[in-house]
Parts: sequence; C-alpha cells; structure tokens
Amino acid sequence: MSVLLESSSTSAAMRRNFWAGVWRVMKRKPSRMVGAVLVLGFVFMGVFGPMFYPAQLPLDPTRITAPPSWEHWLGTDDQGRDVIALVVTGSRYVLLAALVTAVITVVVGTGIGLFSGFKRGRWDNVLMRLTDMKLTIPGLPLLLVLSTVWKFSSAIQMGLVLGLLGWGGVARAVRSQTLSLRERGFIEAARGLGLPTRHIVGKELLPSMAPYIAMNMLIAVTGGVYAQVGLFFLGVLPYESNNWGQMLNTAVFRSGALQVPSALGFLIGPLLAILLLTLAIVLVVDAMDEIFNPRLREE
Amino acid sequence: MKRLAAVVALLGLATATAACSGGSTNSSGGSGGGGGLFTTIDVLKPGLDASGPANPWAPKGNSFLGYNAMKLGWIKNHLTDPNQFYPGIAASWEIAPDNSSITLHIQPNAKWSDGKPVTADDVKLSLGLASTTGSTAFAVTPGAAGVASDVQVVDQKTVKVSQDMKNPSMKFARGIMDNWVVPAHVWNSLLPADFWDKLKAARETGADADKAREEILAIGQKVLAFAPPKDVSAGPFTLERVNPGEALLVKNKNFYNAANVAPAQVKLLNYNGNEQIWNYLSAGKLDQAGFTAMPSDIMTRIKNAPGSNVIRGFSPVAVGMAFNQSKKPYDNVHVRRGLAYLIDRDQVTKVASPEGGTPALTTSGIHQKPAQEWIGSELASLNPYKHDVAKAEEEFKAAGLKKTGGKWTLADGSPWKVSMRAPATFSDWISAEENIKSQLIAGGVDAEVVTVADYPVYLEELDAGKYDVGFWLMALGPAPYDIFQRLYGAANGWTNVAGKVAHSAPGKGGNWMGSAEEIDVEGVGKINPGELTAKLNAATPEQAKPIMAQLAKTANQDLPAIQLWDYVNTQFTNTSRFTGWPEQDSDLLRLNAGVWIQLGLIKAKQ
Repeated sequence: MSVLLESSSTSAAMRRNFWAGVWRVMKRKPSRMVGAVLVLGFVFMGVFGPMFYPAQLPLDPTRITAPPSWEHWLGTDDQGRDVIALVVTGSRYVLLAALVTAVITVVVGTGIGLFSGFKRGRWDNVLMRLTDMKLTIPGLPLLLVLSTVWKFSSAIQMGLVLGLLGWGGVARAVRSQTLSLRERGFIEAARGLGLPTRHIVGKELLPSMAPYIAMNMLIAVTGGVYAQVGLFFLGVLPYESNNWGQMLNTAVFRSGALQVPSALGFLIGPLLAILLLTLAIVLVVDAMDEIFNPRLREE
Repeated sequence: MKRLAAVVALLGLATATAACSGGSTNSSGGSGGGGGLFTTIDVLKPGLDASGPANPWAPKGNSFLGYNAMKLGWIKNHLTDPNQFYPGIAASWEIAPDNSSITLHIQPNAKWSDGKPVTADDVKLSLGLASTTGSTAFAVTPGAAGVASDVQVVDQKTVKVSQDMKNPSMKFARGIMDNWVVPAHVWNSLLPADFWDKLKAARETGADADKAREEILAIGQKVLAFAPPKDVSAGPFTLERVNPGEALLVKNKNFYNAANVAPAQVKLLNYNGNEQIWNYLSAGKLDQAGFTAMPSDIMTRIKNAPGSNVIRGFSPVAVGMAFNQSKKPYDNVHVRRGLAYLIDRDQVTKVASPEGGTPALTTSGIHQKPAQEWIGSELASLNPYKHDVAKAEEEFKAAGLKKTGGKWTLADGSPWKVSMRAPATFSDWISAEENIKSQLIAGGVDAEVVTVADYPVYLEELDAGKYDVGFWLMALGPAPYDIFQRLYGAANGWTNVAGKVAHSAPGKGGNWMGSAEEIDVEGVGKINPGELTAKLNAATPEQAKPIMAQLAKTANQDLPAIQLWDYVNTQFTNTSRFTGWPEQDSDLLRLNAGVWIQLGLIKAKQ
C-alpha cells in the first residue's frame, strides 16, 4: 500500500514539475505564448467559428469584390460576401483535413518506423521496401486522377488521402531514430530482462521519441494545410466554396486580385489565416523542443 | 458543330493555371500599308504549341484563322440568314435558288506565298481533305443533311459544288464556304487517286460502304497529323516562327489584297488563363483581343490603359440552366417553372457576366436580339418568369413538393438538393451557379455547386445522364435549326439522320434532357418539338418564322432549360498603333482581327 502511495505521489509530483516546466518554458519567450494562443484560437475557430454565422452567408450583389471597409474589414468576395466570414467558415474544412492528415501521417509513419527499426531483419526489409514504393508515388498526379472520381467535399476524405500519401518520410525518420535508440543501454537492458516487444516499444522507445513525434505531427498539420490549399488554389480539385484554397483560386482567377486592388482583401484573408497558422505552429514547436529536451532549457 | 466548338473555346478561356510569355520580336520591316507589328491572341487557342504544325485541321496546330489559315469565305453570322459571307479565297459565289449548288469564283489574283496561283484544284483537294475530318457538308454519314454530292472543277478559277437533294439543308452553302483551303502542291500526297470514288461509296450503306468509311477515317487521321515542311499560305501572313511564348507571322507579299494589309508582322501571344489576357490588356500590349470573361474592376482597369477601346456587338449564343428530366423532381414542369421564378436572372448576370452578357428577357430558346425578327409580337406574349418567390412557391406546391421547417422537400418528404455542375475552367458559369445556389437556399431549396475537370469531361458525363442540372449553351444562331436543336435536338432525344427524325427514350442514345416526345402547348395544341425543329433545317426564313414561334412558346411553357443570359460580343482593341476598327455593333465583330486585316479595315496610325 505504502509502495503504491509512494509511486502515485511521485508521478503526481513529476506531472506537477512537468507542467511547471512547460509554464516556465512558455513564459521565457512571449512569442511562444503568442503561438499557443494562436493555436488555441485556430482550434476555436475551426470548432465553433462556423456556428457564429448562418449556414448560407448573406450576399450583396451591389458590393462585389468591394475593398475593405468598417462593415467588411477585408472586403467582400465575388458574390458580395464578407471575406472574414468566409475565412472563419472555411477554416473548419482546412483544419479538420489537416488534422486528419497529420494524425494518419504520424500514426502510420511512427508505427511502421518503430516496428521496422526495432524488429529489423525480414520485417524491416518488407516494410522499408513498402515505404520506398510509397515514396515513389507521385502525390499530385495521383490526386489529379482521384479528383475525377471523388468530389473531396468531405474534409475527412481529403485528409485521409493526403495522410496516406504523406507517411513515408516520417516512417523513414522514425526507423532511423529507432535503430539508434535500440542500441542504447536501457533498451539493451530491457531486452536482457526478457521484457516483451510490446513493452519495449510502447514504454521504452515511444516515450523517448514522443517529442519528435509530436513535433512531426504539428509540422504535418502545416503540410496538410499547404497541400490542400495548393490543390484547391490550382483548381485541380472539384469546387468547394468554404475553403481557403478555393478562396485564393476565386480571388486570383475570377476576381483579378493580382490585378485590381479592390479584390486584394479577398486574397489577403486566406493568406493571412495560413500565415498565422504556420507562425503559431512554428512558435509552439520551438517551445516543445525546449520542453522535451532538458539540455536546451536555460535553468 | 464547328460554330459550337468556336463558342465553347471562347468560353473555355476561363481557365486556371498560369504560364507566361516571353521572347522578343523585331517590329521593323514589312511593306505595303506601312504598319508595324500587330499584337493579339488567338481566342480559339489557349497555350501555344511550339511543335504544332502549320495545319489548319490540327487541333494544336499553328494555323491561325484569318492570318495564315484561309477559308473559302467568312461567315457573317447575320441575325437570321446563315448564308451571308465576306469573301475569302472565294471572291464571289452564286447559290442556286433551290440551294442545290454553290458556284465558287476564286480570287483572280490569289497566289500562295510561294508564288504559285490558287486554283480550282486546290479548292477541290481542300474540300476532299475536309471530307476526311469534317461534318456538315462533308459528313460521310449515309443520308446526312446538306451534304455535298459532287465537286466539279468548271475552270481553273471556278468550282461548282452540288448538294445531295435527297436530304437538303438551308445551310448547305454555309457548310461549303466555312472550309479551309490549302495548297494542292503541298497536300496532295494525302488523298489517294481513287479518293472521290471512295467518298461516294462511303455515303452508301452496306459492307463496302463501311470499308470505305474506315479508309476515309484513316486518311482523316493522317490529315490531322500532317506537318507541311514550310507554311505555304494564301492568307495575308505566313508563319515565321513559334516558341512557347509567342507565334510570329510575317506579311505574305503574294496575298491578293496585300496592298491593303497594314501590319508587317503579327505576333500572337501565348496565354493559359483569363488573367494573362487581363494583364496583356491592362498593359496596353494587345492591339486586339476577343471576348474574355472578367469582373467589372478588371474591365475598368483595361479601359484605363492608354488607347484602350471596347467594341460591343451581337454574339449568337445564350446560356441556360438545363434539366435532366429523367431525374426527379425535374420531370415535373412545375418544379422547373418554380425554379425559373426563384432565380433572379438580373442578379445572376450581374455577378457572373457583367461585361459579357445581358439577362435573358424571357426564356424562349432564341437570343433576345434576333428573337423579335423571328417571332415578332409573340415575344411579348411569352411568360417572362420575373423573379417572384410567391409564384415559385405556388409552382412547387402544384408539383406536390412540401415545405417543412422552411425547406422544400420532395413529395414523399425526402430531401431535395439542386446539384448544379459546371466545368472548372468556366469561371462565369461557376460564379453564376454559386449565385443561383445562394438564391435557391434563400428560397428554401437546398443547392450545391460541383465542378468537373474540363469541358470535354463535362459534356461526356452530361451525355451519360450523370447530372441533374447543368449549364447548356443554347440559341446558337443564326440558322433557325441551330437555334432550336440545342433544346430539341440530339441532347433531348431527337436525332435527324437522312431527313428522318428518330426519338430515343430518356437516358438512351445521348438523350440526357428527357423532355416528353409530345407536348401540349397552350394555344398551339399537341406538338412534337423535335420534328418541328428538324423541319427548320430545310425551311426558308418565311417558312421558319411560324415554326420558330411555336417552338419558342414550347420552350417558354415547358422549360427544358431556363435561359439565363444572352452573350454580348465584347471585343478589345487598342487605338495607339492602329485605326480602322469595326464600328460598335458591327457584324464584323463576329469574325476575328485576321479577317478585318485581310479585308483592308485596319490601318496603321500615322
């Protein structure tokens, strides 16, 4: 009983210390706080943002691609709808698709990388050849072909395809990391003790790589945003109105945002959203690096 | 179909991805007319192909209409008469009163750019080449309407072409005149010695005819791929060089009207999307450009460019929102009428085509400009379908639709979503559909817009009956048959082969619109609109008018499509370097600048 109590109080203390450490790291650079606030802001925007607007945004044909004004801070689009409202309502698709992309990239990539690196031998051969094959699949042409079959009107569908196209790099990197870790003393000891593979991979290897995986996940979110926005911008995916990429496409190719200043707000809206999201993730990754890597902490 | 292809290409400019032009051109040189370099784009050819041949039949070739590619004559696209032309290789022509033949008199001074005269043999060979790839007067389908049965060389400057009078067409002369002419001494290796016998055999039925058609099809493939070693043209220019950024043409001193051709050189700039054309025009780079879809702000910017000049005229085409009546609830006329009342066409046009269209006054199947001439006072009696939400609700109720929680559902309570399709490259159509979507949702009708990769895929899937609602070009004048065959032709089940009209059931044989075969029209009685349309093929204008009135009433009452806006031919010219442009509303606007130049219109600014 006393052992149990002791251990639970130890882990509670560790948790307390961890969060205190996180808070210290975050406080050290105000930019990290800004990043965290922005990330939370985007999460809020994606989850609750569309609820603040009607399902069908009101349009005003008398104010088509109007310049910014008090009423419309970033102007209006080619149907006379408020650009900010479009950015907010369009965020859910982009962020959800990016999240799905990141989860699939990280789960599949890490799973294959860990297993392959730890098991080595035949499994490693098979899985790495599979990864190599995946890495050779040209993503854009494949998406072009798929777009003739799928509408990609669901963000989950979009994220699924991008995720399944993006896990190769993570798998390779995680495998290399695993190969290095498995030769370290504590893994050797665990193996010597005859602990099961599940325990060694899950309890010994995975925690050591958690920061790396978490950072990869955040970076995959930005990758997912870039990929889908790029595809919609190029117009290779079927039309979906509530989407930052589609907004950029419409702004440039239908409203002439690169030619006339009145449509510039229409272009700036989604660009600003992408820029802020990327910045937020970079700032949070910077904080995470220090949180998970004690050597970087300036105690 | 060639007209349609041209209109489609014009609209297809609304495309997305970018590229840029480059290269430089020496603007000096040339003789006669005293002009310098004329810069333009070919609205029919987005994306120059530097390796394309100087072959007018090649889909990605470097033969440019009116510049180095010549036709027998240039179709005026008169409001009502399909058989009016400007001279091309044919200086003059006589059409037999019964349309049984056309006699062509070749320009007496016409020479190829290599100095050899243009002769009747060149014309005959060119008409033969057209038969290997062509349609209209050169169809090899047995019994097709308006086909040339005989090409006779009367003398070295005269050719007589006869129509097969078993199934005549009013458009026979147009079918003949609208053809490329190429030099026999460059192209004659493509046609075998027994070609004309083969062609005759191909127009019959039976195994021999099938074999002959196959052989002609094989020759057609060679014609499409043929690359002459050098561009030999009878037009005002010949192709000098082409790179991915531009095509350069230089003046042909042997052209029969060379003294009146002002520019010494013509440069056709490459483009892949509308925005590049907007940039060229805003910078004052282009001396002329055809219609490009654009928002009002871009138009203002273009108008502010030095020397910028906008000329507007009639464009013989309209756009409609067409229904697949084999899908519920579009089989019910009240649903179609309800949607017509619910859509504010003025707003749609303002958003989608502010510079290139005028809202359709009503939905008659005819462009509003020639409608008065065709149907006169009947036009005023048609239902204008003015935007009226209350009337829309009445119609939906009459169709048995139900409104629950502010949303219209099908009669059995299942959800109804108007799913509209458009090709991804047609920005004005997407803009229109997006606006209609908003209007419908505001009226309680759920709606969505889905894009399709490109226009050929769109047409293919539309034809296969995959869509509920799609945009459809209609009112393709000036020939009355062409106007109504878009609503009551093959796409709606009526095929006209060898003068016999057959009807396919909805969903079969390309019938994706699926109107009823017989329609009871108020004040007219029961009619078969497909058969009436087929009659227009051979009718004189006076015979056509009462038929047009009946069909307009049918289209207005039955609404196979809601006519949204009638296109306006908006042309861009620049007065800084050249003058002598066509006047506002000139019928010449329906031809390109190459034709204006060769007719001697354009003059260098002094």
